[in-house]
Amino acid sequence: MAQSHLDELSPALKAVQKELTSKFGKKLLDTSVFRGELTFVVAPEDWVSVLTYCKESESLAFDRLDCLLGNHYPGRTDQPFEVAANLTSIPNTTRLRIKTQLAEGQSLATATGIWPSANFDERETWEMFGVVFEGHPNLERLLLIPEFKGFPLRKDFPLEGLVGGRIRTDLKGKL
Amino acid sequence: MSAPSQDQAPPAFTVLRPTLEELRDRKARTRQPVRDDREVLTVSMGPHHPSMHGVFRAVVDFDGEVVVAVRPEVGNLHRGVEKLAESLTYHQIIPLTDRLHYVASFAQNHGFCEAVEKLIGLEVPARARFIRTIAHEMTRISNHLLWLGIHIMDFGAITFQQICFREREYMMDMFEMLCGARLTHSFCRIGGVAKDLPDGFAERMRGALDFLPTRISEYERLIDQNRIFLKRAKDIGIFTSEDCAAWRVTGPALRAAGVERDLRRNEPYAAYPEIEFEVAVEYEADVYARYRVRMREMQESIKIIRQCLDNMPDGPILAKDAAHVMPRKKDVMRSAAAMVQDFMQVFVGPQVPAGEVYRSVETPHGELGFHVVSDGSPKPQRLHIATPCFFHCQATTPMWEGEMLADVVGIFGSVDVCLGSCDR
Amino acid sequence: MADALKNPSETDLEAVLEGGGGVPGVIPAQLDRLLNFGASFSFWPLLFGLACCAIEMMSCAGPRWDIARFGMEAMRASPRQADGMIVAGWISVKMAPRVIRLYEQIPDPKWVLVMGSCATSGNIWNTYNVVQGADAIIPVDVYVPGCPPRPEALWQGLELIRDRVKQGRHAYDGMRTIPARVAIGE
Repeated sequence: MAQSHLDELSPALKAVQKELTSKFGKKLLDTSVFRGELTFVVAPEDWVSVLTYCKESESLAFDRLDCLLGNHYPGRTDQPFEVAANLTSIPNTTRLRIKTQLAEGQSLATATGIWPSANFDERETWEMFGVVFEGHPNLERLLLIPEFKGFPLRKDFPLEGLVGGRIRTDLKGKL
Repeated sequence: MSAPSQDQAPPAFTVLRPTLEELRDRKARTRQPVRDDREVLTVSMGPHHPSMHGVFRAVVDFDGEVVVAVRPEVGNLHRGVEKLAESLTYHQIIPLTDRLHYVASFAQNHGFCEAVEKLIGLEVPARARFIRTIAHEMTRISNHLLWLGIHIMDFGAITFQQICFREREYMMDMFEMLCGARLTHSFCRIGGVAKDLPDGFAERMRGALDFLPTRISEYERLIDQNRIFLKRAKDIGIFTSEDCAAWRVTGPALRAAGVERDLRRNEPYAAYPEIEFEVAVEYEADVYARYRVRMREMQESIKIIRQCLDNMPDGPILAKDAAHVMPRKKDVMRSAAAMVQDFMQVFVGPQVPAGEVYRSVETPHGELGFHVVSDGSPKPQRLHIATPCFFHCQATTPMWEGEMLADVVGIFGSVDVCLGSCDR
Repeated sequence: MADALKNPSETDLEAVLEGGGGVPGVIPAQLDRLLNFGASFSFWPLLFGLACCAIEMMSCAGPRWDIARFGMEAMRASPRQADGMIVAGWISVKMAPRVIRLYEQIPDPKWVLVMGSCATSGNIWNTYNVVQGADAIIPVDVYVPGCPPRPEALWQGLELIRDRVKQGRHAYDGMRTIPARVAIGE
């Protein structure tokens, strides 16, 4: 338990870092270690290849996508959106995070071909942030009504929403 | 078939553990084939339905009685917890996490506090870790009791829900004694727990733990060899370990597929490194195996709570960290330093460092992950909650395909979904 | 009332239902009271637990706070067979049309008990996807605040519903259309 609080990688994760840096080298734009967790930043073009290697490699064996999420940094004007994938290896009990940064309107290839569980995650990321995933079988609203306007988890979207509390004009025509 | 281990005496009966290939074959045999000349009838098993799993909608294509395709529709209970969490300090988010999977509230509190403590790098005192373990295992027992009641009720034995609620009331009484609330506990705090164990809690808990095993054995006697349950649960809903990994199905469903993964063992937290317990694993990967896993988990939880009560260390229940921890009220009323600390924590919030962590805990229904992104301010920049139920709802797509209509609700119940946790 | 039954096609049904048929007298009023008294012991709510309050509602129907003593344990799955709704949990914008449809499907007379702070007013969820109170969309008889309310609190709420049943008063008395339609302007 105390191990994960230190900013030191476990030997298994050090091996993961070594293998990924030797395989991808320059394509890993940024590496960070924080609280025993390893994070790599890749370019959107390399997203699928890196994730596929993480899954198919015998030694890495990241066979589960724990979650895929988006993030919005309005302060970063050139690449405000970020998509992160938290990977887990069940045989090796290791974890890894791969992130990528996207410009406004830039789309990302889908990971549903690698892990089917990415389907719902990517739909949610799209509907909350507006990041389009190319190749996704059904990129439509998941948690919100299909006619919802706006992308709620962006920082410029108000918490109460565009409609407000009691008088739900967005129900018009649906009753 | 796997051979029994060489260095032990062979068991009295042969334990047959199906391999992955065998399970794949079994799955192919037990699922109905899809005919080429099928006529598909689309049925909306709409958000309001008699099974008690919450407002889940599945638009199912049927070929006769056989499921051809499933399109789950979730979001009927979406509140925007992640958006709301960005406008609250870390202390204020704890009651939000309660209401995710509301049947096992403390488990979510615990997961969130573990994630934030990892971010801060905070060490929780020993007594608090043991109390957290006790409360977490209490939620495991109460969650599995509720699950059992509803699951068996889905199969038609309606009295079981009443029976399990009777046992659950004892657990909820214990929670009321511990933290004042029956259902939404909000008992965990960053750096420890909210209150110490009250006087008389240990005796009452031991009393409850003494008769719970007899009740659980009674249920096992009623259900384990029950012909109707066996017919409805054996070889139904087989979901192998590779399916579980691909579809991010965790918890009892993963352990029922033969994978010995339990975060209490693999990535220990709280008092689990110091407690002896067995990870409940079954190998058949069907509805019956998931039922067996949960029954054994209940028995293990009882053992864990007993060990925690026996080995409860003395000491503080909150870490000594003025920058991140809410002090105890009695200290606030007596000491100026604690009053200032309380003021800062309430009006400003904890001074967490900037960074990003992802921490998972083993809740009763699966692995719950909190991805906390902090930019150094007392409110999170982004909080993403990877709930197991979200992925279990998605997993209805592969799980229901090829199964018959009559089995669909049983399979859904066996993965224990709660829509509040799915939709956040 | 008698000639209304003779010529159903020429009857203004709404006037009959609202006006009471126009047969005053002591005996029908006492009969109503007797029928309402009986009905108050067999109020069958619609199985409509949405969220955490549903667990406390199930506890209330459980062995300790047995509402079967009052005839309420028969929670009907079909709104056509129900006498009312216990809205237990927050109503999201996606769920709101379905709540309204279920409410309208319940035959008259019906009563609505709104359980929990989320259904009363939205509670802490003042967000983009939660309706701030069930009374924004349907007429409500009894509010039971709490998060979640204890089963005893729900039971008190059900006692208030039973009082309303005995009196024969409904939340929709005098309403032509539900609040949701009025607010949206449909």
